[in-house]
Amino acid sequence: MSIKRVLTGASIAATLVTLSACGGGGDAATDGAGSEVLSNGRTVAEQIALRQDQYEQIGGAFKTIRDELEASSPDIAKIQTAAANLPELGTGMGDWFPEGTGPESGVETEALPTIWETPEDFAQKVADFQAAAASIDTAAQSGDLAAIAAAVQPFGGTCKACHDNYRLDD
Amino acid sequence: MTATVPRIRVWDWPVRLFHWSVAILVPLMWWTAEQGAMDWHRRLGVALLFVILFRLIWGVVGSETARFSRFLPGPSALLSYPAKLFQRPYLPSFGHNPLGALSVVALLAALSFQVGSGLFSVDVDGLESGPLASLVDFGTGRDIADIHETSFNILLALVALHLTAIAVYAIALRTNLVGPMVTGNRPRVSTDPDTSAPIVAPWGRVGLSAGLAAAIVWAVLSV
Repeated sequence: MSIKRVLTGASIAATLVTLSACGGGGDAATDGAGSEVLSNGRTVAEQIALRQDQYEQIGGAFKTIRDELEASSPDIAKIQTAAANLPELGTGMGDWFPEGTGPESGVETEALPTIWETPEDFAQKVADFQAAAASIDTAAQSGDLAAIAAAVQPFGGTCKACHDNYRLDD
Repeated sequence: MTATVPRIRVWDWPVRLFHWSVAILVPLMWWTAEQGAMDWHRRLGVALLFVILFRLIWGVVGSETARFSRFLPGPSALLSYPAKLFQRPYLPSFGHNPLGALSVVALLAALSFQVGSGLFSVDVDGLESGPLASLVDFGTGRDIADIHETSFNILLALVALHLTAIAVYAIALRTNLVGPMVTGNRPRVSTDPDTSAPIVAPWGRVGLSAGLAAAIVWAVLSV
């Protein structure tokens, strides 16, 4: 999917550069990886693909809201449709990460093992996201652009809070 | 030697101001990206867009050593240059030497690609996006951001080459390239043009270039 880069050490001074770039990482999944069937009936690979698609849709809906807010004449109906999708898209997020769907599965995923090491905090972050999704939807349905704009930062903050700790920083 | 060595102006002040602006902005862009300070990354990126646009325009209307048409080397100049590196004393070019000119073009191209791709990039948290990101969908914006991040390594490699070359010229060729980029002047050598036509930056042309660059930045931010 994406090319991974690990820059281990580098500093630019006025006349000196120390550069150490190690490419690599992001090993391609070995054939057959992720074919194990989970208790929900999906394979590991299917579960990972499903949540990635779900996150991409969430990102798309949030982007629609932000793009409209920045437009010279925001389309409130578009914002409301996108915002109404957010709580729905995030439903059941706590179940998107069953044991065995981390990087150890051999399937390419940016989910970090810390998800399964600190499950209570991860569950809290998911709950924060779901609450923020409900708030931005409520704000959108009110039709008040200022209220919608005010809900954007807190919502994006819940994305960031999780990404900072539980997603591979590429 | 007691006599004052005559000096010659090789770089006008807009070229120098551009150069040092980039030398400050690029590390800051890197740092803000690594820190995830995408709001500042975006602001500084807009500043970098302005200075690069200015330099590209200045490369057409600027003073002699700033112009692409003047410093882009032909094949013969390129092929004959390496031999000059082994002559002693080394006689510096008036403006970019042929190899340095290639480096400048590569650096400008890499910088332009970074700024251009940044315009369309979408941050993973969805909180900050490039000013033209509304023209692409989320997935495309994320893909462009991945490319933007990977291609930065090309710019880094070119900067490393640039700094290495400066060190080689200083140590092996006893030629200080940093000083002239600060003051605009270097000691005159026998191969310099025997002209007193000064390297100047007329205010009218500076204003025209800066105005045009600012207008393009404004148009980008208005999308």
